[in-house]
Amino acid sequence: MTDTGVSVRWPAQYNVLPKEVFHRRDVYEAELQKIFYGPEWHPLAHLSEVPNKGDFKTLQIGEAPVLIVHGDDDKVRVFYNSCPHRGTQLQICARGSTKEIECPYHRWLFSLRGELLGASGMDQFEPNFRKENYGLKELRSGNFNGLVFATCSEEAPELAVFLKGTTDYLQKALSEDGRLKLIGYQKTIYATNWKEYGDNEGYHPPLLHRAFRLLRWQGGKGSNGVTEGGHKVVEAEVQPPKAVFLNDQSLVEFRDKSGPPRSIVVSLWPMTTIVKHMDVINIRYAFPLSQDETEVHYAYYAHQDDSEELLVHRIRQASNLLGPSGFISLEDGAVFSRVHAGSRTLGTVAYQKGYEGKPLSAPCFVGQNDEASNLLRWERYRTTMGFDRD
Amino acid sequence: MTDPQTLARIDELQMKYLAALDRHDLDSWLDCFAEEGSYICITKENNDAGLPVAMMLDDSRARLKDRVKFINEVWSGTFEDYGTRHFVQRFECKPNGKSRVNVLSNFIVSYINRRGGSDILVTGVYDDEIDLSGEAPRFVAKKAIMDTVTTPRYLVYPI
Repeated sequence: MTDTGVSVRWPAQYNVLPKEVFHRRDVYEAELQKIFYGPEWHPLAHLSEVPNKGDFKTLQIGEAPVLIVHGDDDKVRVFYNSCPHRGTQLQICARGSTKEIECPYHRWLFSLRGELLGASGMDQFEPNFRKENYGLKELRSGNFNGLVFATCSEEAPELAVFLKGTTDYLQKALSEDGRLKLIGYQKTIYATNWKEYGDNEGYHPPLLHRAFRLLRWQGGKGSNGVTEGGHKVVEAEVQPPKAVFLNDQSLVEFRDKSGPPRSIVVSLWPMTTIVKHMDVINIRYAFPLSQDETEVHYAYYAHQDDSEELLVHRIRQASNLLGPSGFISLEDGAVFSRVHAGSRTLGTVAYQKGYEGKPLSAPCFVGQNDEASNLLRWERYRTTMGFDRD
Repeated sequence: MTDPQTLARIDELQMKYLAALDRHDLDSWLDCFAEEGSYICITKENNDAGLPVAMMLDDSRARLKDRVKFINEVWSGTFEDYGTRHFVQRFECKPNGKSRVNVLSNFIVSYINRRGGSDILVTGVYDDEIDLSGEAPRFVAKKAIMDTVTTPRYLVYPI
């Protein structure tokens, strides 16, 4: 029995997974506690989404609403989006700007740093009431290259430890200096379990994509690895395909000459993926809505130094290539939900390509199109949840 | 006040457009656009915030034609298909030069969900510029601005 009281029969064979973890409500609730509210870090915003003092963004960690605020001291903090008095949700917009944070219910007023500034009728509160004890609940947070992370747990290791093995890739994906500019969002819900989303997002066999065949688009040399923390990191050379299919070839052209033509995918454990493909710079903030639904906010960025022409190109490519209705990635979404629907059958699934019959140990690199690397992430999941093998 | 004949021509185009989409007849959809026509489907959230990334951004004839290819030739057989019904209500018309008109219309698009029931897919406003000079009216610019922030499924077809 695990400390959450939830048990799963996990097959002894290393490349086999039980499908029940995709559907059981009790497993999902245990995951919220152990993973989303446990000692893991979650990317929530890039500084370019809250560039100025007073700017804020709201999101979720698991099902818990959080508020990311750019303070008047230039520090970005992450709070629970909940009044410490009676729990009222504080900000309801996805993004905005404010001078202070006021709870609408009893008019408690907080500074941008989360301090309680005042509350109506405070002289009638309990005798030992201290304002200092009723600031907004701040989460541990940190940022790498402009990407802000937070954790609900005091037990989480330092962010740098959590990210070990990913930072070179993150830097390549989010530009070396992190000076990005937000250009928009695409938001959708997939009828899939968050683990199916995380497992299949960002990288999967190119067989799925008929677009690659129609474009006669061959993948270049690359690497496909998993870090000790269960993060997947993929880097590949990408040569633009020949103009054989599309009427508007710019959809698949590299115009940013500041770096080599390559594709970078960082699938952070547990579920947010960062992609730099062609000239698209994309963070896919993701969170579960239930065991059956996953919400994804595709956020797109340009670089602050982009010429007007390159900016327009990024906007056009971002809109039509890699989002939920994108030329290439629409098919990903179809697979997320079809995997979930099909996994309602009993039994197990087995990963094959690249699995050599013995356990892998992280960090490791596997063949470019191998699915064996996902098994290390599953090992991260299984051990985090405390599920024993048969 | 736009004259009844002009309104009838505007409605003719709107009806042709929604019928094409609900029949999944993408060639007829393409036929609703002028040679220099553009189609943009964007959330109100992005549009209001001045964030230009759209859900679909077809700002040239080449891109409009490519969208038809995506649906008919690339994605076909992989995506989970869904039926739709578009309901469009024109609420504002403004003449724009001699033979063009700017039209605002509300839209609701229903769809068939995974369980076979009917749900609302998206709602919003069409901001259209229509060329009335030819035999058949056509969109010079069609912008579907979705009130829907988070779509309940991935969108395959234009709105």
